[in-house]
Amino acid sequence: MKATLMLEDGKSFSAETVGFGGEKIGEVILNTAVVGYQEMMTDPANCGKILVLTYPLIGNYGCAPKFNESPRVWLAGLAIKEKSRIYSNWQAKESFDDFVKKHNLLAISGVDTRTLAVHLRQKGQMLGIISTHCFEAKELLSKISVFRKTKKESSLPQISVTKPRQLSKAKAKKIAILDLGITQSILRQLEILGLSVTLLPYNAPAEEILRLKADGLIISGGPEEDAGLKEVAANVKALVGKLPILGISCGHQVLAAALGAKIARMKLGHHGVNYPIHNPASYKGEITAQNHSCVVDIDSLNKIKQVKVTAYNLNDRSVEEMESKPLKLLGVQYIPACPGFNEANTVFKKFIKMLG
Amino acid sequence: MPLRKDIKKVLMIGSGPIIIGQACEFDYSGSQACKALREEGYITILVNSNPATIMTDPGMADVTYIEPLSVEVLTRIIAKERPDAILPTLGGQTGLNLAFFLMKEGILKKYGVESIGASVEAISCAEDRHLFKKAMQEIGVDVPKSGIATTLEQGMKIGLNIGFPIILRPAYCLGGSGGATAYNKEELARFLSKGLETSPVHQVLVEQSVLGWKEIEFEVMRDSVDNVIMITSMENVDPMGVHTGDSIVVAPAQSLTAEEYTNFVNLSKRIIRRVGISGGGANIQFGQNPDNGHIVIIEVNPRLSRSSALASKATGFPIARVATKLAVGLTLPEVMNQITGKTTSFFEPTVDYCVFKICRFTFEKFPRAERLLNTSMKAVGEAMSIGRNFKEALQKGIRSIEIGRFGFGADGKDKITDEMLAAPDSGLLKMIKEKIRTPNDERLFYIRYGLKAGLSIDEIYALSHIDRWFIDNMQQLVELEEKIKKFRNKKPEDAIEIPAELLREAKKDGFSDRQLAYLLNSKEDKVREFSGKNDVKAVYKLVDTCAGEFQAKQPYFYSTYEGAEEARPSKNKKVMILGGGPNRIGQGIEFDYCCCHAAYALKEEGIDSIMVNCNPETVSTDYDTSDRLYFEPLTLEDILNIIALEKPMGVIVQFGGQTPLNLAVPLRKMGVELLGTSADSIDIAEDRKRFKQMLHKLELLQPDNGTAFTFQEAKEVAKKIGYPVLVRPSYVLGGRAMEIVYDEQTLEKFIKEAAEVSGEHPVLIDKFLEDAIEVDVDLIGDGSTFVIGGIMEHIEEAGIHSGDSAMALPTFTLSEDILNQIREASCKMARELNVLGLMNVQYAVKDNVVYVLEVNPRASRTVPLVSKVIGAPLAKLATKVMLGKKLKDLGFTQEIIPGHVAVKESVFPFSRFPGVDIILGPEMKSTGEVMGIDADFGRAYIKSQIAAGQKLPKKGGVFISVRDKDKRAIVFIAKKLQDLGFYIYATSGTASALEKNGISVKVLPKIAEGRPNILDYMRDGKVQMVINTPSGRIPRQDEVKIRSQVILYNIAYTTTIFGAQATVNGIEALAKKDLQVRSLQRYHKEISAQKHGKNKRKNK
Repeated sequence: MKATLMLEDGKSFSAETVGFGGEKIGEVILNTAVVGYQEMMTDPANCGKILVLTYPLIGNYGCAPKFNESPRVWLAGLAIKEKSRIYSNWQAKESFDDFVKKHNLLAISGVDTRTLAVHLRQKGQMLGIISTHCFEAKELLSKISVFRKTKKESSLPQISVTKPRQLSKAKAKKIAILDLGITQSILRQLEILGLSVTLLPYNAPAEEILRLKADGLIISGGPEEDAGLKEVAANVKALVGKLPILGISCGHQVLAAALGAKIARMKLGHHGVNYPIHNPASYKGEITAQNHSCVVDIDSLNKIKQVKVTAYNLNDRSVEEMESKPLKLLGVQYIPACPGFNEANTVFKKFIKMLG
Repeated sequence: MPLRKDIKKVLMIGSGPIIIGQACEFDYSGSQACKALREEGYITILVNSNPATIMTDPGMADVTYIEPLSVEVLTRIIAKERPDAILPTLGGQTGLNLAFFLMKEGILKKYGVESIGASVEAISCAEDRHLFKKAMQEIGVDVPKSGIATTLEQGMKIGLNIGFPIILRPAYCLGGSGGATAYNKEELARFLSKGLETSPVHQVLVEQSVLGWKEIEFEVMRDSVDNVIMITSMENVDPMGVHTGDSIVVAPAQSLTAEEYTNFVNLSKRIIRRVGISGGGANIQFGQNPDNGHIVIIEVNPRLSRSSALASKATGFPIARVATKLAVGLTLPEVMNQITGKTTSFFEPTVDYCVFKICRFTFEKFPRAERLLNTSMKAVGEAMSIGRNFKEALQKGIRSIEIGRFGFGADGKDKITDEMLAAPDSGLLKMIKEKIRTPNDERLFYIRYGLKAGLSIDEIYALSHIDRWFIDNMQQLVELEEKIKKFRNKKPEDAIEIPAELLREAKKDGFSDRQLAYLLNSKEDKVREFSGKNDVKAVYKLVDTCAGEFQAKQPYFYSTYEGAEEARPSKNKKVMILGGGPNRIGQGIEFDYCCCHAAYALKEEGIDSIMVNCNPETVSTDYDTSDRLYFEPLTLEDILNIIALEKPMGVIVQFGGQTPLNLAVPLRKMGVELLGTSADSIDIAEDRKRFKQMLHKLELLQPDNGTAFTFQEAKEVAKKIGYPVLVRPSYVLGGRAMEIVYDEQTLEKFIKEAAEVSGEHPVLIDKFLEDAIEVDVDLIGDGSTFVIGGIMEHIEEAGIHSGDSAMALPTFTLSEDILNQIREASCKMARELNVLGLMNVQYAVKDNVVYVLEVNPRASRTVPLVSKVIGAPLAKLATKVMLGKKLKDLGFTQEIIPGHVAVKESVFPFSRFPGVDIILGPEMKSTGEVMGIDADFGRAYIKSQIAAGQKLPKKGGVFISVRDKDKRAIVFIAKKLQDLGFYIYATSGTASALEKNGISVKVLPKIAEGRPNILDYMRDGKVQMVINTPSGRIPRQDEVKIRSQVILYNIAYTTTIFGAQATVNGIEALAKKDLQVRSLQRYHKEISAQKHGKNKRKNK
């Protein structure tokens, strides 16, 4: 089926649908990773976005349930250049097409993703609309404009667990996770470390969290700029200093906000797996996976005593990591991804040390 | 970490001559390294025996030695220059091995030289099979079941334990040389002994075969503080069992899941840390079982490699430059990424395109070699193509290797027609299946035949183990081909009727105009016109390291058929340089050298240079060689597309070898402005008839000749001019299908072959001048002034292709009178052809008469060598002349005859093609060259022989067997050998000639007559040198056996009487005095002093 992707500034791209037709509006974001399409589709952090994959050949290795980051697809839409006709990998259980159809995702292929990427780099991230039944520029643009003006409801109630859920009962350290959109790959690492994990609803009040007597709290990643995040930050504020806290991605921003720092929007954001971060005191750094459009404002963060920036992005000097030893806080803007096989990211090891 | 200040002088070792497995990628990496070191203020000393390289240009390093790459020579250089450090990781396996031997022999320690980039421990860990296996097991990385053998018995035992098939890999060997797969006991024994022989440390890894597994490669870099980055992943389309240097490779890997990818990254990090590379890069090769994902490590190259050059060009990340900076102490975050100008090198490149590498083979040069691919590399060159999808990249890749194909079949050149494939008989189907099952250079095309004949993707997978994803993409092309064919014209004159959308789809999937013209029964130019009318035009996208995330400062371009034009041409004056495409025998690094010099000259003149080339190994495709680089196939269509966008003031076609020269006339026809010598002059030189007329007019002689289209015509010509005759096609390079023919019977066979290569042009037949001396002349002209660059005398007699001949500059036997005749003739012809730029002439001198053999109005293979010997950059001067400068203004008006002597020697790939007769003739067979330079001919010659890998003996036995007419000349040579203390063996005929002259000889029986014969003597190490001259076209069985064994045991050999003479002179020189070394800069100083002296005299 013919489809179109129109950006808020009037630039449009023609395409074909992969599965069903429809019409969806969302913020258009890029991701420059070569592999990992299924993980990106099912990551709650991408909730409501129109995701553009810059790597042109998608679906080559199919899909399999084990690669889901969460049980469903959260994207508003997906735009790719070329969809593979077949899939070829021993792990695959179904094709990319079937996956897209099963999850009722509005996915389009044949998009000139390179031109789209360069356009967004120049103009900055913006809203876009995918449609298979309307090709009138004026009408599409007015729909975007209405969408922009509409107050957005929080998606956290859908994403987060609705009541506390204990995932494992190890005798080891007990970790509570404020679920803003936890991903399987993070949970798997905690499991590797043998931690006892309890998921909490995003809006769990501070007292309730404290009552759990967890050794530490992790604020997971999730959708940025969500209407529900304010409430989460307020709850977290009451927890600062009372137990060790690790904020991941969006959770890191929530933690910073709770401390009084400002959150700023970026022009293009960081979406990919090749972002270098480094510690200002050394030459040593890491290549990290990232997926964010907002960032903790460095000046406002520097004003907060007891918190130190421990890593910057090497390209644009944005805040990647903050730490407070006295308050036992750790925040990482990047995604502490599994480094392969049954290993856990050093961020979690560092946090465990903090637990005492 | 700051730059190391304790190091001031760094020694770099190049990789020597171009051979299979080690091509110009090391010129590219070495040149980048030189630049990187000098940027940081280090004094660089470079040693390389290959004069055709950019790296040995006198401006690249501070001190440049073109000397043999041996421990002895290197020791002398170290003693003289006293470097603080040696950088062994940029000169390929040759450089690495040499550095390793210098370490092992304590030479580095003695002179206080530190190995930077890779420590001796790291090199040992990666290269020593035993240490490597142990290290990998330590860090939990699986290796294929294996054992290390140092003897045949041990190897047999290990092999039988593992079970067949078994892979054998000799240690410290490049390009998998000596590697093989054994399927039975007999093969195991045979390959084991060969492998033990090939390995310089007599060690062979006997390994479980992972035949048919996926082959995945990662390029990894690590700095001194343990920052590690992945440059790219690569997936071999040909699965395990084909050497990665011969495989079709795509980047990035296409069939890995995110989880698998992460696991490979994890393993790569563990490996580079364990091996201990802490200031450089490595290439890691894995095998992966496609059925369960099980990963094994195959090997690690702790240095820059062919794959890293490919990874570099595929992503835009300058691996060699960064590796060099890391070696001198900097860390990744401290080195800027020059492509983006914004990010640092601590960044993993990501791509938004598909890169395809395909190899160029040369089986046609070695008709007796099997066209099979296995674990021993056979490719002589490669091309890289970029597309927005695999299909586009695949079709462009096939176009790029210049095998006369214009895409994935459907170009009118398919061996098997669609009609035959529509209803294939069982024999045909069986043959197609066999060609898909057994890896060979034509497999891609046979997969297409298979698909057309109805084989399913699964069937083809079962035969080839090529991943289904790749096969499905090929299937898509076959389907598209069928769709296009529906719009086939009845007559070629009819108007094209394909719908614009289908045309666009075809172009997006890489179909060339040639293919479309064939499928639509139309003409290439009509397709082009139709596409233009329908606005189906190529646009150019960027290789920018970051998938568009950052604006690129210095990107390069590839074409595709969608979206916005990203290559915005500047308004500056600009000139386009057409490169030489993939390396092949006859066209290689020499031409890339010239193209680079053209770019440098343009820069000096303030004109933008636009480079077009598709060879990822070269310096010309480095991001900073030209102002704008287009990574595109060198076909008329692709070039016209770039010209339409860039609108250069002119195009240079005379530097890239025959590839661009063949495009001269078609480009001119399309109204493209060519710089330099006119297309018409090029045509005069190439067209035998017009050439003959010109010589007649200028009263110059050429051997009697004629042209023929048929055998009948050829027979008549041959009868008229008399046998032997030289038969060859027109418009080819490297003497393809050229042959000396002694009788009518052989003539028939070769006319057929030559006509096939020649196509629509006639076959040329020349009288062959036996025993003539051949001479090569390079000349430069500006239309009014013509200056000889160099006159070179061949050491082998005429009849051996000039690219294969050893030759000396200046000449060593020609009289001043003959030289003057040659000078005069050269200038006369240049004036007649109105040469603007370079010209090369080949002469034969027989009985004091000078014959013109051929004229090439373009840069020749010898331009870099001559430039370095005389200290004048000919290609650069020629570029400036083409732009309108006069030689007088450039200060080059007189031939320079240097006081020193340089000898060029060629290097051959015979050891790669078992069963091929080692014999030189008019068809070029060498892959590369070396230069020996010294004060006199003997020493220069001996250096050239050592550099070419000949083990020249100081004592021992020499076996001599020569044809009758050489018997007189051999007496003096044998006498000298005897005086030098050598023991002489000979066959009865030769022996009697020697004995008559008082030389004592041991007579050996002919092989068929009895034993022990020469073969036994060679096996027992009693013979250190063989002088054996050929007798006619089909050498007798004995000689084939002798020559094969010579290669096997690496015994010094020569097949001409001149070569023998020069070798013996060299051995004498070597015996008297050890080799001295002297830098190129010193030689050049002498030349300028010499010139200065002359001028002074003139002024008086």
